[in-house]
Amino acid sequence: MWYPEVFEKYKVVSVFDLLKEYLETGRIKVDKSIHTEPTTLHEPCNYGRKSQKAFGHGYFEEPRWIIQQCCEEFVEMYPNRMNQFCCGGGGGAWAMPYTEERIFYGRVKAKQIMDSGAKLVIAPCHNCRDQLMKSIVPEYQLDVEIKYIWELVADSLIVEPWSEEEIKKAREERDAQYERDGIDLDEEQW
Amino acid sequence: MEPIAVNPKAGKLKVAPEWADVCFTCGTCAGGCPVTGVDRMDPRKAIRMAALGLDQDLIDSRFPWICTMCGRCEYACPQGVEILKVMRRARGLRDRDKVPGPIHKGVVMCLEKGNNLGIPKDDFLFLLADLAREMDEEEGFPGFYVPVDKKGANLFVTINSKEPFGEPDDMKFWWKIFYAARESWTVASENWEGVNWGLFSGDDEAMKTIVGRIVDHMERLECSTLLLPE
Repeated sequence: MWYPEVFEKYKVVSVFDLLKEYLETGRIKVDKSIHTEPTTLHEPCNYGRKSQKAFGHGYFEEPRWIIQQCCEEFVEMYPNRMNQFCCGGGGGAWAMPYTEERIFYGRVKAKQIMDSGAKLVIAPCHNCRDQLMKSIVPEYQLDVEIKYIWELVADSLIVEPWSEEEIKKAREERDAQYERDGIDLDEEQW
Repeated sequence: MEPIAVNPKAGKLKVAPEWADVCFTCGTCAGGCPVTGVDRMDPRKAIRMAALGLDQDLIDSRFPWICTMCGRCEYACPQGVEILKVMRRARGLRDRDKVPGPIHKGVVMCLEKGNNLGIPKDDFLFLLADLAREMDEEEGFPGFYVPVDKKGANLFVTINSKEPFGEPDDMKFWWKIFYAARESWTVASENWEGVNWGLFSGDDEAMKTIVGRIVDHMERLECSTLLLPE
């Protein structure tokens, strides 16, 4: 392992750990009633099966729990967890010139999504989201929406307003930072 | 057809010398792989090629790149053959200028410019400030800004270069969450890339350099928590 000392010195969290912590401790609040449609989870290979093998922990339950905090109706795709199917865009395939093969690969995922009856598919990975949203949905003409898991949480947020004092302090910090970095938004740059 | 000279001991791809015996050739891997049949290949054949010393044929083939390294085959293998390791090693043994698509170019760009797409620092900082102003003034998040190189912040966050490059508003999802959570967080003004394409191109050295940059940020900015790049 590279830089093993990092794991001693710092807390290292995945997107699931952080979102779960925010929700569990009440640091953020969400409204379920915003997402009423049947919602399923696409499990990224790297967070599930491969994480289980490499680190002894696959993120299987965390994303399901997070989705259930934000959605009224969670539905599964089958098979799932350790036997889940890749979206077809993983391992750099999204960036490869083999588009036809990548879309062919995704047919299994397309069928799983259709069979689940979901209208919203949560993708906790940039790569999977792009493959699902930009290739699978149009190519297989699926009537579903794709969201990142952090997009789902952001869209469900009930934001407790900041106090005048908090706003003032943040703006002062911001102004000091912009001065340090030479940022002037009113200057025509673009 | 020319007869094939089998020399399993000389293989570059072989992880364990007894491999040719370990694999039962049962085809479970191939049965569970969505791209079995593409180019008349499948994981079982790829492993046979490696076991029989047909390394170069496998390295030159498209299969290791069409494979998404999802690991379903390896999980199902009754013999525990490390199929993924072979695939990634086959990728790594390609001449760098023959790596398909932009991933190797992205690695080189990242090493030189600090992100896979070569976004200059000034443009990046201006973009963050511009998006933050929209949130602050128009979208109901008064006081929001993106803390850059903020020493002592709790959480260090990397950025996927595709977002500032092509989908800038998507960065706001996390920003809104940080705002609601009143998180003390920061990003780096340089070397902020969160996507490590060395993983995909089979380039361990570049991968390590790019991971090392994140460690350097943690040290330099005295952050206590790292949000793993997704």
